[in-house]
Amino acid sequence: MSQLKIFDPKNLKEVFSIWQDDAHDARPLGGGTALMLMMKSQLYKPSALISLAQCDERFRGIERRGNSFSIGALTTFSELENNLQITTAFPIIAQTMHTLANPRVRNVATLGGNLAHADPHLDMPPVWCSLDAELHLIGPEGERHIKVMDLFAGYYETTLKPHELIMRVNLIAQDNWQRYYAKITTRSAHDWPALGLALGLKSNKGYCDDVRIILSAATDRPTRLYQTEKILRDQVLNAHTVAQCGDAAVQEAFISSDDRGSADYKYHLLRVYLQRRLMMLAGVL
Amino acid sequence: MSHVSQTHQIGRSLPRLESLDKVTGRTEYIHHLRLPHMLHGKILRSTQPHAKIKSIDYSAAAALEGVYRVVTIDDIKTILPHPYYGPAFHDQPVLADGKVRFAGEPVAVVLASDRKIAEQALGLIDVRFEDLPAIYDEVEAAHSTTLVHDELKPAATFPDLQHLKGRRGTNIALDYRLRRGDVESAFKKADYIFEHQFRTQQVMHTPMEPFVSIADVANGYATLHTASQSPSFVRIEIARLLGWPENRVRVKVPFLGGGFGAKLYIKLEALVTALSLLVKRPVKISLTMEEQFFMVTRHPCTFDIKSGVTKDGRIIARECKVWWNGGAYADIGPRVTQKAGFTSAGPYDIENVSIDSYAVYTNRPPAGALRGFGAPQTAWAYESHMDLIAKELHLDPAQFRRKNILREGNLQASGTPMRDADIELAMDRVIDHLEWNKPYDRGTHLKRRGRGLAIGFKGITAPTTSVAIVNLYADGSCALYISTVDMGQGSDTVMAQIAGEILNIDAEKIKVIHPDTDVTPYDMGTLGSRSTFHMGTAVRLAAEDAQRKITELANELGLGPHSNLSLADMLKKKYGMQAGNIIGTGSYIPDYQKPDPSTGQSTKATPFWGVGASGAEVEVDMDTGEFTVLKLVNIADVGVPLNPQLVQAQLSGAGIMQYGFTITENMVFRDGQLTNGSLADYKIPSLLDMPKDYINETTKSYDQQGPFGGKGAGESTTIALSPAIGNAIADAIGVHIHDLPITPEVVFNAIKSARAKVGVS
Amino acid sequence: MSTQRVIHFQLNGEAIQVRVSAHDTLIDVLGDQCGLRGARESCGQGLCGCCTVYVDDKPVSGCLSLAWFVEGTSIRTIEGLAQNDCLDPVQNAFIEAGAFQCGFCTSGFIMMTKKLLEIDPNPSDETIRHYLIGNLCRCSAYPEIINAVHLAAQKLSSAQN
Repeated sequence: MSQLKIFDPKNLKEVFSIWQDDAHDARPLGGGTALMLMMKSQLYKPSALISLAQCDERFRGIERRGNSFSIGALTTFSELENNLQITTAFPIIAQTMHTLANPRVRNVATLGGNLAHADPHLDMPPVWCSLDAELHLIGPEGERHIKVMDLFAGYYETTLKPHELIMRVNLIAQDNWQRYYAKITTRSAHDWPALGLALGLKSNKGYCDDVRIILSAATDRPTRLYQTEKILRDQVLNAHTVAQCGDAAVQEAFISSDDRGSADYKYHLLRVYLQRRLMMLAGVL
Repeated sequence: MSHVSQTHQIGRSLPRLESLDKVTGRTEYIHHLRLPHMLHGKILRSTQPHAKIKSIDYSAAAALEGVYRVVTIDDIKTILPHPYYGPAFHDQPVLADGKVRFAGEPVAVVLASDRKIAEQALGLIDVRFEDLPAIYDEVEAAHSTTLVHDELKPAATFPDLQHLKGRRGTNIALDYRLRRGDVESAFKKADYIFEHQFRTQQVMHTPMEPFVSIADVANGYATLHTASQSPSFVRIEIARLLGWPENRVRVKVPFLGGGFGAKLYIKLEALVTALSLLVKRPVKISLTMEEQFFMVTRHPCTFDIKSGVTKDGRIIARECKVWWNGGAYADIGPRVTQKAGFTSAGPYDIENVSIDSYAVYTNRPPAGALRGFGAPQTAWAYESHMDLIAKELHLDPAQFRRKNILREGNLQASGTPMRDADIELAMDRVIDHLEWNKPYDRGTHLKRRGRGLAIGFKGITAPTTSVAIVNLYADGSCALYISTVDMGQGSDTVMAQIAGEILNIDAEKIKVIHPDTDVTPYDMGTLGSRSTFHMGTAVRLAAEDAQRKITELANELGLGPHSNLSLADMLKKKYGMQAGNIIGTGSYIPDYQKPDPSTGQSTKATPFWGVGASGAEVEVDMDTGEFTVLKLVNIADVGVPLNPQLVQAQLSGAGIMQYGFTITENMVFRDGQLTNGSLADYKIPSLLDMPKDYINETTKSYDQQGPFGGKGAGESTTIALSPAIGNAIADAIGVHIHDLPITPEVVFNAIKSARAKVGVS
Repeated sequence: MSTQRVIHFQLNGEAIQVRVSAHDTLIDVLGDQCGLRGARESCGQGLCGCCTVYVDDKPVSGCLSLAWFVEGTSIRTIEGLAQNDCLDPVQNAFIEAGAFQCGFCTSGFIMMTKKLLEIDPNPSDETIRHYLIGNLCRCSAYPEIINAVHLAAQKLSSAQN
């Protein structure tokens, strides 16, 4: 890592211009924690880094209009964690932050960088998905919006166009949803999860109005289990229907073995934890 | 200046002498040491587990701006004709010599003033390998024709290994045997025979300060600044490598940022010495956390244990076959094989014992000393085995142990009597803490609870020598010169307490001079729980010698026995001014009888016994196999705790480390490649992993041979901890785990197999 | 050749300037150029906390921070904690509770503890364990560390009263 250039562009136009210049072989930097890890382990050796610190005020700030929230992609996890409006509207975010990395990482890592990294083990991406969050993207060709769910193309791969940046994360607080992020570790407590389950359940008089089931860590990207959700939607919430859900999830998910567990074991954990957490969210335990 | 103390030093929970430095970030570690004109070395490591080196092309690396030089074994051989080292066998080359024997073995070094440039240059070196068949499993390797080494080369430092010189055609570096009585006949007489196999995984110490050494060789003198637990050994071995007398090699050690047995014998010292000798500049090599996994690890172990038991629960015969996976280079493995070997049958009074313990070479990173020195691996086996037997015989596990436990005066399997090692007392304390004799609520079918206990012991590496010097200065202030290394266990503080007790000086007023082989006398090494006992005794003797000399001085000056003239005034009287010293020396080597090589019998195989007992309560989620250790109890016999707070820290710290080795830590290999060599993927215990109810205590005891009744404490709680947890889980789920680490998946599979046996889905 | 520039920042209350390369981490610069040894690189992955320093009053991992970006910031290390030979109450608490063995991780634990007690002056055991999850101690002085945090909390609250 001993040949590196750092650019400090003053605006977004400069960011794109430097980034688009292949001669630089440059990469933009959020908080830098994930990038630093990759550079230090020689997994990734950009010739230059582009600081986004001064690029555009639209990348910062947490705004609220009624139930709609818009969060700048350069917001750090600490800023998110300490924003009372956010944690009140989205308790699942506070719950997830509790076990997300450690406070030093949270002080520095940004929402945008975290999403763009596309490591399937990360905690927040499946949570954003379960909240139906959207991304406001900006690139040299213009701006567009996509659902966070549609950001991930595969292992460390996104659907971002070349030179596109995540500018804002937008989401709407919805009533009557119970949400939970299960970070299932199989070794020490401070580990990447073997399985991540971001769940949302909207129940009404013991019936499932709507549900979100997002699987992460055991898969190559945050994966929404649409078929499994379908099984539960409009059904009465009881041990039987939730068990059917578990069966469906095991069929729908595609899980491989790794150091944190064999595929068989992780399928089993998926079934058990999905059932338990759905029952918990349904208030039936 | 009067230094007369008003209190006893022994038994004080004195805060560490270096506390102020440690909380202000001022502690001296080799980690941050820089010397003028120093070069940094970065190591290029083998990507192959077993291969011939066909070629090394480092031209591009050498040409990189800022690179000073690239060095391979060919360069080393121009200055060191026999660049091989090791405490037991001189089998380890300073850099790979024509062959690599494990993935991660050092092949070349890049030297540069800027360590980032050195690191970058590594990527420009092209090594061509011709792969050789490789062997990784200890039992397979013991019987295989795939050989890691062509010939054994025993080191002179261990005279009892000389019979192995020239041995060829085997991966077995050492076979230790113990024979007592006649196991075969006894097995025939036994009412029951039980046979089991247990396995332990490869783990690493991961001290927070990674290995680091600096050599400064110039004009026929060598100075090593190194994070080492054994400075005297380093001096001897480096002098041997250089062909120089010891007095031309100086080894200096400040504090270590952790050791745990990793920083012993030769690690980076030979390499930096060779490099500095070659380039005539100081050379520093500082490993990353990742590289530590390739330096030294703990022996994986396969243990086949067979017992013959009578109807009334007496063990009359035990046969142990233990294979130690030593990796590619022997390091101190042969000693582990012997020292853990003779206690492999456990702390039990068994008439007929047969032990075969094998140190085996494989193509894995080398294994060496790690806290416990083989005792934890053997206790995992024998204590799990005990519970399995108890279950079969419908005996309470504690009662079964009581029927067979070694008591004071009993002859252990080696023939050495048990002295000051009340293992039963330790077990009784565990029983109290677990309320063992009260009925136990085993929870529901969804959340099962279980409890378990285990006991263990270890013999101490012997015979070893420690020498100490007490130096009283002209004003009566005192310094203690010892080569014991303070790596966090608090040796500076305890040794000062011992000296202070004799000299009647407050420990905090004594300056402990850190190892500097130009100044501090010989010590075998800070390892294996030996320092309190050996160096502690040497310090006591040195202080007593100083005390005698003070009395002699008083007599010389014609002062009566009731004179209260201070030492400072006496010296002033003698020399006419503030001048002079009182120097006391003490040296200690315990009694020892070398075991008979064919029977392992000895009347004094160990100067004292390490004793530990543990108990655990667990709760298992029967649906997932996830479990929580609700309560963990460790009881250790450390004789008299010389500094109770420091002893407590050792018991508790060693326990948590062993907890990691039991549950979360495992070096995972695929085709000889380590896949998880970083703290992101190799999980050591964090604050969230500690059992909530965690109790560590010492028994009330006194070691007759130890200084003020004390003995070692650093390893006692590592011994029985794993089987206590294993036995607790077995109590909960009805099935024993045989292989460490115990992960939720392992427990889940055990539950499944237990249910399958019973026909339950 | 990496780009280089001179950066200006406050280090433990003192204005300093240092020439850094783009690839220099903060921990490198603090060690190599500023002569500080309290923060140390150990795991290199931001997991162990040995390299903890404050940048603009926020604890960060020095091993994952590029020095380039501390231009204009205020940095505080363990060396800046004691005021005029008077130890910080957290430092005193660590000594009294015997909350260190080899000491290599101690600076990091003290820096994080100080920050925790600013956020939560009377934290529970659970809060302490979670906040210090990113600090690893291989000597495993964990029980003593938890005691030290409680003790420091007591000291700080009685200092206020």
